[in-house]
Amino acid sequence: MAQAATSTRTIKVEIKRQSTPDGKATTEAFEIPYRPNMNITSLLGEIALNPTTVTGAATTPITYDSNCLEEICGSCAMLINGKAMMACSALVDKLEQPIRLAPLSKFPVVRDLAVDRSVLFENLKAVKAWVPIDGTYDLGPAPRQFPQIQEQRYPLSNCISCTICMEVCPQFNDVTGFVGAATIAQARLFNMDPAGSVLKEDRLRALAGDGGIQECGFAQNCVQACPKGLPLTEAISDMGRDVFVQQVKDLFTR
Amino acid sequence: MATAAAPATPTLRGVQPLRAGEGHSFFWRRLHSLSGIVPIGAFLIEHIVSNFEAVNGPLAYAQQVKFLNSLPLVRVLEWCFIFIPLAFHALYGVWIAFRGRATVNVYPWAGNWGYLTQRITGIIALLYIVQHLWRQRFSGVNLPEHPGAAFAKVQHELHNPWMLAIYVIAMIATCWHFAYGIWLFAAKWGITPGDKARQRFGYVCAAGGTALCVLGLVGMYAFINPKYANAPEDVMPTQPPAIVQPVQP
Ligand code: HEM
Ligand code: SF4
Ligand code: FES
Repeated sequence: MAQAATSTRTIKVEIKRQSTPDGKATTEAFEIPYRPNMNITSLLGEIALNPTTVTGAATTPITYDSNCLEEICGSCAMLINGKAMMACSALVDKLEQPIRLAPLSKFPVVRDLAVDRSVLFENLKAVKAWVPIDGTYDLGPAPRQFPQIQEQRYPLSNCISCTICMEVCPQFNDVTGFVGAATIAQARLFNMDPAGSVLKEDRLRALAGDGGIQECGFAQNCVQACPKGLPLTEAISDMGRDVFVQQVKDLFTR
Repeated sequence: MATAAAPATPTLRGVQPLRAGEGHSFFWRRLHSLSGIVPIGAFLIEHIVSNFEAVNGPLAYAQQVKFLNSLPLVRVLEWCFIFIPLAFHALYGVWIAFRGRATVNVYPWAGNWGYLTQRITGIIALLYIVQHLWRQRFSGVNLPEHPGAAFAKVQHELHNPWMLAIYVIAMIATCWHFAYGIWLFAAKWGITPGDKARQRFGYVCAAGGTALCVLGLVGMYAFINPKYANAPEDVMPTQPPAIVQPVQP
C-alpha cells in the first residue's frame, strides 16, 4: 500500500523555455515519478531521459548550465519558484509544487535555462580582480599574510561567480548598469592581498566609474541571497570608504 | 609587468559592464548622500525644534519666527542652505528612485523593504514640501514681514482635518526618511561596515528618528490645542521692514 502510494506520487514542474536568444518564450509542463531527495539538476536530468511533456508530446531536453553539482562551480543559477537559487542545491522535497523554473531575468537567455553571464567576467576584468604575476620566472615565496587578513579574505574568496547577488539587486538593471556586489567583493579580496594590493588604486578608481559602487542603494538583497554567504554588505561598505578616500586623494594629487 | 593589449571586449546584450573610471556619477551620488544630512537633515532638525516653540503659545512662536528671519543674510542662507540643496536632493532622488527596480514582491526582506520605503517616503516628502512651501511660505500672509501672523496661519491650515492628516503623514514619512537616511549614509560611506555596527547604529537612528517625530507631532498639536483656539491674526505690531529684513537699496 505504502509502495503504491510512493510510486503514484509525482513531481510537477513548469519550465519556461526559449529555443534561441531571440525566440519566443513558452512554458512546458512535466510530471515525473517521485523519488525522495532529488535536487533540481537531477530533476532536469530525469526529464532529459524522457523528454515528454505532461500532455504526452515529445519535446527536446532542457538546456541549462551545470558542472560540479555541489554548489561550487556557480554555473547553475536559475529562478526556482521565482527566486534566484542554485539548481544543484535546491531540494525538490523543500519546494512547493508545481515547481516553476525560469532563466535568470537580468541576463540574456542563450537557450531555455542557460543565460549569458559574461557581464560579470567583464566587470571582474574592469576592476583587475587578480594578482598581477605573469609566472614566467620564479618570484620566490609570496609575501606573508597576517592571519587576521587571511580570516577577512577567506569568506570573500568563496565567491563562485553565480551572479545571484546581481540578479536579486534592485539596482542591477539595464538603466544603471550597476557593477553588482560580486565584483566589489572581489576587488576587496584582491586589495587585501599583499601582492594584489599593488593594483589597489586602479581598482578603487575603476569602481568610481559610472555604474560603480555609488549605484548601490543598500537594499542588502545580495547578502541575503548569496549561496556562499559572502559578507557582501560589509565589503561594499569598506570599499565605499576606500573609493571615496581615493577620489579625494586624486582630487588633490592628480 | 607585461602589458599585453587586453583582448577586445565583445559587445554584450543586457546589463552593460562597469564603465571603469568614466563619468562623474560617483561625485553626484555622494553629494546627494551628503546633502541629505547637511544641510537638509540639519535644517529638518532646526525646523522641527523651532516649531516646537509653538507649545509656548502664539507670541513665543512669533518671536521664534522673528528671530529666524532676523539672522544675517537670512534670504541668502535660505536659498543656499535650504532651497537649492533640497531641490537638488529631491529631483536627483526622484531620478535615482525611477532607475531602481524594486523587488519586494519576490524578495520580501527587511533591507529590501527599507530600500523601497526610502523611495516612497522621499516622494511623499517631496509632494508635501512643494505644497507646504507654496501655501505657507510663498502665498498668503508673508511671514518674514509679519512673524506675528505665523501661529494663526498654521492654525487655519491645520483646522482642516485633511490638512492635519497630510501633515501627520508627512511628518512621519520625513522623519523615517531622514532616520533611515542617516543609517544608509553611515553604511555607504563605510562608517558602519560590520553587521554589528550597522545593527547598533540602526537602534540609534530609530531612537533619534522617533524622538524627532514625536517632537514634531507635539509641536504640531499646539496649533490645534484648545488652549490656543482662535489665536489672534497677528500677535505682533507691524514690523518696520528694516527690523525683519535688510533694507532694500
Ligand atoms: C525632507 C528632506 C529630506 C531629507 C532630510 C533627506 C535625507 C536623506 C538622507 C540622509 C539620505 C541618505 C543618503 C544616502 O542614501 O546615501 C537620503 C537618501 C535618499 N533620498 Fe532623501 N531626504 C529628503 C528629501 C528627499 C526627497 C524630497 C526625495 C525625493 C524623492 C528624496 C529621495 C531620496 C532617495 C531616493 C534616497 C536614497 C538614495 C540611495 O539609496 O542611493 N529625499 N535622503
Ligand atoms: S558574491 Fe555570492 S551571490 Fe554573488 S556571485 Fe559570488 S557567490 Fe554568487
Ligand atoms: S552545478 Fe556547480 S554550482 Fe550548481
